[in-house]
Amino acid sequence: MSTHLTFAVPSKGRLMEQTAEFLAASGVTLRKVGPERGYRGEIEGFGNIDVAFISASEIVGALNSGRAHIGVTGEDLVRENIVNVDERVELVKPLGFGHADVVVAVPACWIDVNEVADLEAAAAVFRREHGRPFRVATKYINITRRFLSGHGLADYRIVESLGATEGTPAAGTADLIVDITSTGATLVANGLRVLNDGVILKSEANLVLSKVADWSDTAKAAGNDLFTRLGLPNRV
Amino acid sequence: MVGAQPANFEALEAQARTLLAIFIASGYEAVAPDIIQPAGVFLDVVGEALRGRTYVFTDLNGEEMCLRPDLTVPTCRLYLARHPQADREAFYSYNGPAFRFQPVGAGASHPREFRQAGIEAFGGADAGEADARTLVLILRALQQAGLSKWRLQTGDVGLFDALLDDANMPERWRRRLRDHFWRPDALHAELKRLSTEPARSAAAFPRSLIDALDPEDPAGAENLVAAYLDEQGIELIGARTAAEIAEGLLGIAADAKAPPLKPETAALIESYVGTHLPAAEVAPALRRFAGSAGAGFARAIDAYERRLKLLADSGVDVASMEFSAEFGRNVGYYTGFVFEVIAETLGAESPVAGGGRYDSLLKAVGAPRNVSAVGAAIHTERLLAVVRGAKA
Repeated sequence: MSTHLTFAVPSKGRLMEQTAEFLAASGVTLRKVGPERGYRGEIEGFGNIDVAFISASEIVGALNSGRAHIGVTGEDLVRENIVNVDERVELVKPLGFGHADVVVAVPACWIDVNEVADLEAAAAVFRREHGRPFRVATKYINITRRFLSGHGLADYRIVESLGATEGTPAAGTADLIVDITSTGATLVANGLRVLNDGVILKSEANLVLSKVADWSDTAKAAGNDLFTRLGLPNRV
Repeated sequence: MVGAQPANFEALEAQARTLLAIFIASGYEAVAPDIIQPAGVFLDVVGEALRGRTYVFTDLNGEEMCLRPDLTVPTCRLYLARHPQADREAFYSYNGPAFRFQPVGAGASHPREFRQAGIEAFGGADAGEADARTLVLILRALQQAGLSKWRLQTGDVGLFDALLDDANMPERWRRRLRDHFWRPDALHAELKRLSTEPARSAAAFPRSLIDALDPEDPAGAENLVAAYLDEQGIELIGARTAAEIAEGLLGIAADAKAPPLKPETAALIESYVGTHLPAAEVAPALRRFAGSAGAGFARAIDAYERRLKLLADSGVDVASMEFSAEFGRNVGYYTGFVFEVIAETLGAESPVAGGGRYDSLLKAVGAPRNVSAVGAAIHTERLLAVVRGAKA
């Protein structure tokens, strides 16, 4: 078992590029090692840091299990996939990219529903008329449950949706949705509207630290060196 | 933890035999409901909150199933399978595993897999008598298994319901207050909102449309909503109809016009919810502050008092029993008497046994109407831990 520090970095797309740019701004250079299409990397001048390029959603799992010491991933994924966030990880620094709001959106024609509190009355009539609760389509099952239940809404059912969530109300497979949006244009195009108090989370990419990884002396020293270089206070 | 230790297994089996023997001798037939249950039934009864603490999974047929988080709903389903009309009195007992998700670091008193030994009584005509009988039997079983000291925490969800039913307010407000019952801060905020003017502003909604709606003419209201959406270029999508949206707007208009909740009504509800007293002092105290609150609340207090007397007559030490109005909020299906048996060594967060009345659960599970029902379960691992600790 290596005593090195494992740094999990998004493996592709804008998130990977922006992570590299964020590091480069402090003069830290991220490099792939081995074959061009490989998933291992290093940081110039930090011999005790192993970089693992993995998908942003798997980075959360790696931090939660302790396989990675630090990583870059979205706050939405952290809050969705880790039950006791504060005990498992620490969100060290929001990075200013990968912005996405997790919102509750309803059909724009629901002109009697402006706030989350208005859903309860609508749900009661809906159950009487249709014999079932509202269906909420989302890929954020845990975030949705915590938010709606936290607002006192009891009579609703979550349906997992892994793609094209905005289309589910028009298609009739769901009645409202919880999804990410950046400009809101897709929601509008699908006849949906965000509730006035329906922004659950303003998410962005974060530098996240695992509290449950094996923080060997070598890993600690490497982490502190890197954080110093990035202008962050030492954490470990 | 990898399974129960062999010594624990034997001790738990012996303890279960003791508990079940008492239940069966009292006329509670031993049953074994399914461990794997359709998740939909639980989601209907408990709501999505279920997913936060239950092992829910999709099987190879695409059906959503769960490992039962307790045995009450499974026993209700078993009763309905035997008596679809729910027209028979029945007494059941059980001992078997239940499963609840626990976050990493949960203590030994909160295992994710544990055994419940319990009883459920369906269809009894005399609710007070059935409540008392349930608690008395559970205490007798606990004693027989070796528990010598405990604390009894009780509540009565029926009192809150009766108080709301008597209070003069639109049904919509009542529903909202019931929904907020389990969240003290939200209940407080809602009471404040309903008792200040206006209870619910209609300002954020299309004014001209709301003014044009006539509560006496639902069909006309539906047409007006459809015309408004058309005019605004908003497409009507999804299962919700223009008639439902019109009904929603009428509700908002009615809320805006309704006189706010009387401050004394809000104060009465607040002081009830804040009641924490020895159980024996509750009835006089409630009568004192409720004054002439209403006939339904008065009847609920009488029923409370009668149950207390039945318990005392059966030898329960009611003098040391505690009452908290808030107690029982956290389980959605309780409708009346609720109780927990607490051992000091484990504390109030890990009761050794608990139960209560749930008259609307059977209907939610498929019975043709509400059925009188009361039950309770013993957390057998905790009981064993307490009894062993006392001996050590």
